[in-house]
Amino acid sequence: MIRLEDVSKRYRMGDVEVVALDHINLDIGKGEFVVVLGPSGSGKTTLLNIIGALDVPTDGHVGINGNGLSLSKQANRFKFRRETVSFIFQTFNLFPSLTALENVQLVLDMAATPHAQDRALQVLTDVGLGDRVNHFPHELSGGEQQRVAIARALATGNPVLLADEPTGELDFKTGIQILGLLQQQADAGKTVLVVTHNREISRVADRVIELSSGRIISDGAPRTGKADLSELQW
Amino acid sequence: MKNSQLWLRWSWRDLRERWLQVIAIALIIALGTGVFAGLGGQKRWRIDSLDISYARLNMHDIHVSLADGSFILRDEMQAALADVEGISAAETRLIAPTLVNASQDGKTVMVSGRIVGVDVSNDGPQVDQIFVTEGNGRALQPNDAGQQVAVVEENFANYYDLQPGNSLRVSGDIPLDYIGTGLSPEYFLVVDENGLFMAEASLAILFMPLDTAQELTGRDGLVNDVALRLDDGADRETVRAALEDSFAVHFPNVGVTFDYPEDNLGRKQLYLDAEGDQEIWDLIAILFLIGAALGAFNLAGRIVAAQRRQIGIGMALGMPRRWLAFRPLLVGLQIAVLGTLFGLAIGPLLMVVFINVLKSAAPLPYYDFSFYMPAYVKATLFGVTLPLLATLLPVWRAVRVQPIDAIRTGNLISKGGGLNALMNILPLPGKSFTHMPFRNLLRSPWRSLLTVLGISMAVILMTAFAGFLDSFIATIDLMEDALLYEHSDRMIVNLDFFYTPTSDVVTSITSLSNDEGQPLVSQAETGLMLSGTLKGDGKEISTSLELHDMQHALWVPKLLEGRIATGEPGIILSEKAAEDLGVGVGDMVTLEHPLREGLLAFRLVETEVPVTGIHDNPVRALSYMDLSNAGMMGLDGVTNLLVLVPAEGVESNDIKAVLLSEPGMASVLQIGEITDAIDEVLQLFVQFLAIVEVVVLIMAFLIAFNSTSINVDERVREIATMFAFGLPLRTVTRMQMVENLIIGTLGTLVGVILGWIVLNMMLVARVEDQLSDFKFVVTLSPVTVLVSAGLGILVVVLTPLLSIRRMSRMDIPSALRVME
Repeated sequence: MIRLEDVSKRYRMGDVEVVALDHINLDIGKGEFVVVLGPSGSGKTTLLNIIGALDVPTDGHVGINGNGLSLSKQANRFKFRRETVSFIFQTFNLFPSLTALENVQLVLDMAATPHAQDRALQVLTDVGLGDRVNHFPHELSGGEQQRVAIARALATGNPVLLADEPTGELDFKTGIQILGLLQQQADAGKTVLVVTHNREISRVADRVIELSSGRIISDGAPRTGKADLSELQW
Repeated sequence: MKNSQLWLRWSWRDLRERWLQVIAIALIIALGTGVFAGLGGQKRWRIDSLDISYARLNMHDIHVSLADGSFILRDEMQAALADVEGISAAETRLIAPTLVNASQDGKTVMVSGRIVGVDVSNDGPQVDQIFVTEGNGRALQPNDAGQQVAVVEENFANYYDLQPGNSLRVSGDIPLDYIGTGLSPEYFLVVDENGLFMAEASLAILFMPLDTAQELTGRDGLVNDVALRLDDGADRETVRAALEDSFAVHFPNVGVTFDYPEDNLGRKQLYLDAEGDQEIWDLIAILFLIGAALGAFNLAGRIVAAQRRQIGIGMALGMPRRWLAFRPLLVGLQIAVLGTLFGLAIGPLLMVVFINVLKSAAPLPYYDFSFYMPAYVKATLFGVTLPLLATLLPVWRAVRVQPIDAIRTGNLISKGGGLNALMNILPLPGKSFTHMPFRNLLRSPWRSLLTVLGISMAVILMTAFAGFLDSFIATIDLMEDALLYEHSDRMIVNLDFFYTPTSDVVTSITSLSNDEGQPLVSQAETGLMLSGTLKGDGKEISTSLELHDMQHALWVPKLLEGRIATGEPGIILSEKAAEDLGVGVGDMVTLEHPLREGLLAFRLVETEVPVTGIHDNPVRALSYMDLSNAGMMGLDGVTNLLVLVPAEGVESNDIKAVLLSEPGMASVLQIGEITDAIDEVLQLFVQFLAIVEVVVLIMAFLIAFNSTSINVDERVREIATMFAFGLPLRTVTRMQMVENLIIGTLGTLVGVILGWIVLNMMLVARVEDQLSDFKFVVTLSPVTVLVSAGLGILVVVLTPLLSIRRMSRMDIPSALRVME
């Protein structure tokens, strides 16, 4: 599903060259719920951005969903993001001037999905926001905003969900709800990649990839076995 | 304030960060301050230049003209003047109409002319002198007396690009030696007998020695006009009264009219123009500065929004609010100063351009373009103050929030509602991203409103100027319609005196033929043309009175109301004259007109005549009567006006060429030439308007660019999110263009409405004084509105294209994490 071959990302900060990713090789299968773990500056968000074609690697090759699309071209990256991956951000990044329903409908309209409004309404209902669809983001709680963001990502129907610290802005209870939603997506066959520095979250993943200084230092199932959501605490 | 250098450096960084927006606003400020500085002194320059020019050329204090057709011996006139005390110099003159042929190198120049015969002895004329600039030939000299020489009035010469030495012929096909091109106070602005300004295209003034003029017109020893300068301290009214008494004794049967410098329409117009134009330039400058202030308000709002967390942190650190406000205010101040400095730099350039335009459009013998400091002070004051004041409100609002509210990030601060709830009341059809532009506008209603108003400032200017021109054109069109609706090829011939219709002079002209004996004229009629004064409602209006045989006339005026009375007393007035005099059809009006008392003597008498009709010509001075009214002027059975219709295939110039050598000819005019000449002059205004439109479009562009650029800044995270979801750059750009389309359309709508109001205010103010001789039609043509609006909207809509590069190079991951 997702294959990274010898991927590196370097950039300059003043006179210093920073290696964000250093010769990463990775395969992630369909329906996997993967958590990428690591401290600040470990390269986890860079990895997510490269997989999501928000950024391009300095070296190496990224292959996703078996397509032979060359992601060096900007137009292809736009198409790829529209059709293959969907993002969930730590700060939600909802459009403040659109209602919850319109935020979801927007991505469907982008893809010219028929009956976009009905579909958006369905997805919002699925994430438990059926009664909040006409509210603007500033009228919703943080958890509700993140659920709108998840609904927006789900509505696209894209096979890969990329979540960057999806619970970072949320309280524990709401964070658990959000993780539950993501887990459901993996169970439904979507590949879910969650980036976090919260080790507790990694306990519910199928697979945990730990990064440090741009390198994979461990890759496998959670050390203590896959836990249930109810067992988490932070 | 401690460590002011730190604050200065900090604010410079803020400026650098938004340098494009800063430059955009500074340029708008520069346009405003530049106009203030460069043209703020134009009124002073023009008035000073006029004062000097009129003074140095000894413009008359009192001007005396004899009734139409009256002439008296110069000696008699001088004797009458000698009895009056208080006169320091008297210039007795002979003024007579003529036909001028100044055709050169295949270019036909045949226009009506006016001979001004002056005494050239003792370096005369002493009053209303003639100024010839270096390189324009020479002035009249004493030894020119009796010679066939002329100095040609400069406005006419410039219009047709004539130079001394060119061929010049007048009625009777008499050649004149064109010795110089000159200016004289009465003709700094050429006005014809109907009160039409800038008549240089159709009226040539020829200054020549008095005895030459007398010989050319067959008026040996006679004069009909006097220009007087009074002793210092002499009371004008007292001198006038003494003149009236003296004239009554010396030539009791001759009517005279007196006028003063302020009655000279050209002089009056030049002074009023200087005043009125200053108001327009000031208005332009103010609108620019308001536009800049609105832009500065938006930018300041954006800057403090971006600095919101920093302000909150400063509050948390216990920093006083005035310190926190200092940084964004310093930015506002620096933008204002930068713009003002730009403006002060371009001011002198505008001044140079303006002076060159002024010198070529309205030449004067002397100029005073001394540096006018108040204009620069005013420019600096407005340029700095207005934009700075505009930044106060957003800054004040920003430093009044609670620290915790300012510091918070994320969901708690993602306010985005604005007036968006309105969209739920009025849902729009279409896809969600077609709603986005509307949503975004409602989300920050203040910025939207201020941008709309900023753009409207530009459109106001464009609309008002275009409307000004449209109104002129519409008035000229009305004049054309009135004059040309029938026999538009007819020619008006003025004779140099009164002749019987069966006289050789008249029959020779009405039966003109070419060398092959082919008739040049298909139809002809005789009439009269006289000057008079209409009186009523405490007002006096000069009128050019035409008498035609209305029953058989080739052309009669079209009436708005009333009837064309034949065989009975009655006068047809212009709508404007009727309004000004407070009369209507059926009312009586007082007409002061010449009454023939002798062969060359006309007395001025007042007769009450009924108003029988109101004609449709917007020129106030034009009045018409049936020829049967000639008896009240003592002119039964004579004519001084011929109307000719050229034979088929005959051009007016063919007739003019033949008429030039006809005896008794004074002047001839093909009726369309009256408006053709004005149309040509209007072309100058069209060019000026084009320049204004370009400047205004630049202003609209800068305002729209500023707003778009701020929007991109503010919405960088949203744009990045759209990109993250694969929305192509073109779609994002299209959304911004739609947003700008709405803003541009609203701005244009507001601008056109306000522009119409400004246009009316400008014209209503001018109609009262400067344009009082016309029934002025205030109009704004749909084509002008559409072109102006189209251009304005187009510029605003296209502005987001300039952000494409910036968006395409956006670092999406970083933008997604932008936190304010």
